[in-house]
Amino acid sequence: MATWVRRLLYLLRQSRHDRELREEIEAHRSLRAAHLEREGLTPQQADQASRRAIGNVLLAREDIREIWVGSWPSFWQDVRYGLRTLRKNVVFTAVAVVTLALGIGINTGIFTVLNGVLFRDLPAPGAHDLVAISQTVEGAQFTATAGFDTFATAEYHAYRDRTRTLAGVLAHSDPRESTLGGEAPQDVFGSIVSCNYFSVLQQPPPLGRALVEQDCQPGAPPVVVLSHRVWTTTFAADPAIVGREIELARRPFTVVGVAADGMYGGGPMGTAYFAPLSAEPMLWPGPAPVRDDKYRWLHLIGRRGDGQSLEQVRAELGVIAAQIDREQKGRTTTLAIERATPMTVPNGVRGVATGAAAVLMAAFGLVLLIACANVANLLLARGTVRSQEIAIRLSLGAGRARVVRQLLTESLLIAIAGGLLGSVLALWSFQTLVALALPSALPPEIPAVTWALDFSPDVRVLWFALILTLGTSLLFGLVPALQVSKPDLNGVIKQETASAGSSRRGGRLRGTLVGVQVALSMVLMISTGLLMRGLYATYTIDPGFSYRDVAFLSFGTDYGPAAVVNQRLMDQAAALPGVQAVAYASQTPLGESLMGAGVRLPGESKEAQRYAELDGVTPGYFSLLGIRIVRGRTFTDAESASAEQSSARQPNAQRQPGVRPAIVSETAARTFWGTGDPIGRTLLRDDMRGGDVALQVVGVAADAQLTALGTVVPYIYEPRGPGGVLLVKSRAGFAATASGIRALVRASDPSVAFRVLPLEGNVAWWRGISGMVTTLGAGLGVLALVLASVGIYGVVSFAVSRRFREIGIRMALGATALDALRTILRQALRPVVIGAVIGIAAAAAVSRILSGVLFGVSPADPLGLGGAAVLVLFVALAAGTMAARPATRADPTAALRYE
Amino acid sequence: MGLTNTPSDLLPGTLELLILKSLGSGPKHGYAIVEHLRLASRDMLRIGESALYPALQRLLLNGWAKAEWGVSETNRKARYYRLTAAGRKQLAGERDEFERMVRAIQYVLEAN
Repeated sequence: MATWVRRLLYLLRQSRHDRELREEIEAHRSLRAAHLEREGLTPQQADQASRRAIGNVLLAREDIREIWVGSWPSFWQDVRYGLRTLRKNVVFTAVAVVTLALGIGINTGIFTVLNGVLFRDLPAPGAHDLVAISQTVEGAQFTATAGFDTFATAEYHAYRDRTRTLAGVLAHSDPRESTLGGEAPQDVFGSIVSCNYFSVLQQPPPLGRALVEQDCQPGAPPVVVLSHRVWTTTFAADPAIVGREIELARRPFTVVGVAADGMYGGGPMGTAYFAPLSAEPMLWPGPAPVRDDKYRWLHLIGRRGDGQSLEQVRAELGVIAAQIDREQKGRTTTLAIERATPMTVPNGVRGVATGAAAVLMAAFGLVLLIACANVANLLLARGTVRSQEIAIRLSLGAGRARVVRQLLTESLLIAIAGGLLGSVLALWSFQTLVALALPSALPPEIPAVTWALDFSPDVRVLWFALILTLGTSLLFGLVPALQVSKPDLNGVIKQETASAGSSRRGGRLRGTLVGVQVALSMVLMISTGLLMRGLYATYTIDPGFSYRDVAFLSFGTDYGPAAVVNQRLMDQAAALPGVQAVAYASQTPLGESLMGAGVRLPGESKEAQRYAELDGVTPGYFSLLGIRIVRGRTFTDAESASAEQSSARQPNAQRQPGVRPAIVSETAARTFWGTGDPIGRTLLRDDMRGGDVALQVVGVAADAQLTALGTVVPYIYEPRGPGGVLLVKSRAGFAATASGIRALVRASDPSVAFRVLPLEGNVAWWRGISGMVTTLGAGLGVLALVLASVGIYGVVSFAVSRRFREIGIRMALGATALDALRTILRQALRPVVIGAVIGIAAAAAVSRILSGVLFGVSPADPLGLGGAAVLVLFVALAAGTMAARPATRADPTAALRYE
Repeated sequence: MGLTNTPSDLLPGTLELLILKSLGSGPKHGYAIVEHLRLASRDMLRIGESALYPALQRLLLNGWAKAEWGVSETNRKARYYRLTAAGRKQLAGERDEFERMVRAIQYVLEAN
């Protein structure tokens, strides 16, 4: 271990070091006193004698401090010298600091966002003891799996009851929608939690009581703890709320408490209430996972017991998992136990999330690299100017390491100034930006949610900024420092040849740096170009259905009005003034929910099944959305009516033999039958309960982008009765249509929560996402280009100033101004062209990734790719020419007298 | 006979050499080092704490010794110093150097 590491450790732990030393000397003295006593002195005499013998302790401590911090004064000397040099070159310092502030700032900013989503502790006391438990299971059959990595109720009980390393294990569902009744019924997201939720998180409700074990017993009276937010907004912070009865999912619940402000609600979104596990069947109709041991729906969080390490917990829970595996033949469980973070990121998603974060960080990192290259270039250019000073120091006997250290100290000072400025700006701006951007990240159909993510900077962010700052100072400082301090004493001291000799070497390095900058900004600009083309495409693309003048009505998830009511609503809506068409569908076009199903041809095995989107629609659906029926026919009213009878109310109906009619999209038809005629053919659809539904194709519909804008997936439509989402096409304008529909719903049932929204809003939301990504990309791209052109400008103008004399001589010998310009530019722009070519090649690879992630981005889009490339080259050329212009005005006589 | 209490009376680096040597026979705490030096020098070397502790810290800084808390033979808390591999190497080197130096001084004193 090098001495300076020990010195640094000393500085970090100085107070501990001092304390230990005091204790040690005191221990020493008492040993001596004991010794003296054994030799016959009285305790008092021994004490005094030992104090005398020990000498001047204070002086010794002074000496010791000097031993440890001995060589630091020279560091401060470096700092003082560095500050003086930087102050003398205000322009250089300002450009370098601002450049780095931009680079470090945006990276710190994006890290605060990622930190808030991926790395932060749960907002709970003693959060470092909380672990998230998730599982992947093979070889076992489940009724259903809600979310990745979840646990069934029985599995939760097994872990909760058998663990010894965890002091407690809680379970919670994903927050789901249900209707909160009242004068203005609204859909809210609520969590279903185990009754030890508040005790495991160690956050008892400040008002009322927590959920207790009795609340989770079957048949317990339904109770609920409200979130602080709902209490303050919906219930006006009523202090008498405890004991009051509220209506959730049309059932009465007694409020027993109000949770602490900002209490973790089971995900990145805030929750409205915490209901006990036993209340699940009341809140969410349908299958009751709480009573179904094969239904996976719970997320588990444990609190480590005293002194239990993560490893011990992993080992013990692994044993419990193995016990569960033994009880069920053929089952293999893999547990993942990690520190709990606000975004419960399951295994499967962790990869994706980390991948997306990596792409994002890479893009931001590129800008930082460009910034570093820029500052490195500035340092190199300045180093050439300073080469005399440095040569003199070297020749006076300064070691090369000493000179490098001095230069690095200067870099460090620049980096610290840039890092401070950038981080302060970033921490302030990114919080605001994210607060603005988050709401538009959810489709309009979702009820208003608040995000429970904390993006304020914490220790982790500070460390990130610090490491980034130190890293960048090495990145941009080391190469110039080594280059500048190369001991080439002869050359430099003999002034004449000096500039030529060292600047050729430095020149190649500067050229390389410019090339790197151009290549990096080329990658960013081309990506931006492609993103913009994609954005343009989202605005101009024909989604394959007409969304104008269409309003849709959707109910809260826990409310399914009776078919009769739905039929009546449809009839009444059709009679509203201006209404042209009405239809029901199971899913909103471009809406929040998707339903995929495995589909295969008869005779194929289940492994061969392919995925198709599934939707149930009434006969008028296709004409309302302007989706052409290319072959065959749409559904008949009779088919729609019989589908209604075999709905979920009669689960056995699905097992009945018999063939249902289906309409397939063109892509689906091509997927299954190629060019053959699909009419009359049969398909088998997985009913997700282990059986199949036989479908007979009666028609082929044109492709429509109903799941995601710009994406065509195979679609299979089945007939359905009235219910689901009501689509209304009207000439009367959205406002009039919407108020008409609202009046109809209220008249039929005043207690139901519902939303009426324009279908155009869903399309706009998809465009908004593209717009956000493009804006981000464009921002980064422009920033990169500006930085790169500053770099080019600097390098070219430096070259001009170095060669002013040579140009003057050439012009005196008859060269024209244009010749001079050409000479300078040819040399200066060669790295630009090389960098551009490399950048285009790299961008081709990046664009392939982008096209996979974002809609409408084509990797070989000539306009996006070429346009961006031309722009970068043009800007580079402009910067170069502007910087080279003084050369054309070189006055031969003045140039000859130069220096 | 002058009892040495300050490092200035020793040749520079000699105190470190003596400490390294006394640690060579096993880890010791500060007081044990002082006692060892006193006994081994037949009562001629009495090192004060104000000289001992800076010297010990120099050993730590150079990585020649490591310190850890332990319990002394009389059941008191004490900090034990243990020679590292680098310290052992240093001891051997210093010893040669010191012998050469003593011989050189002798030559000078015996020359006429």
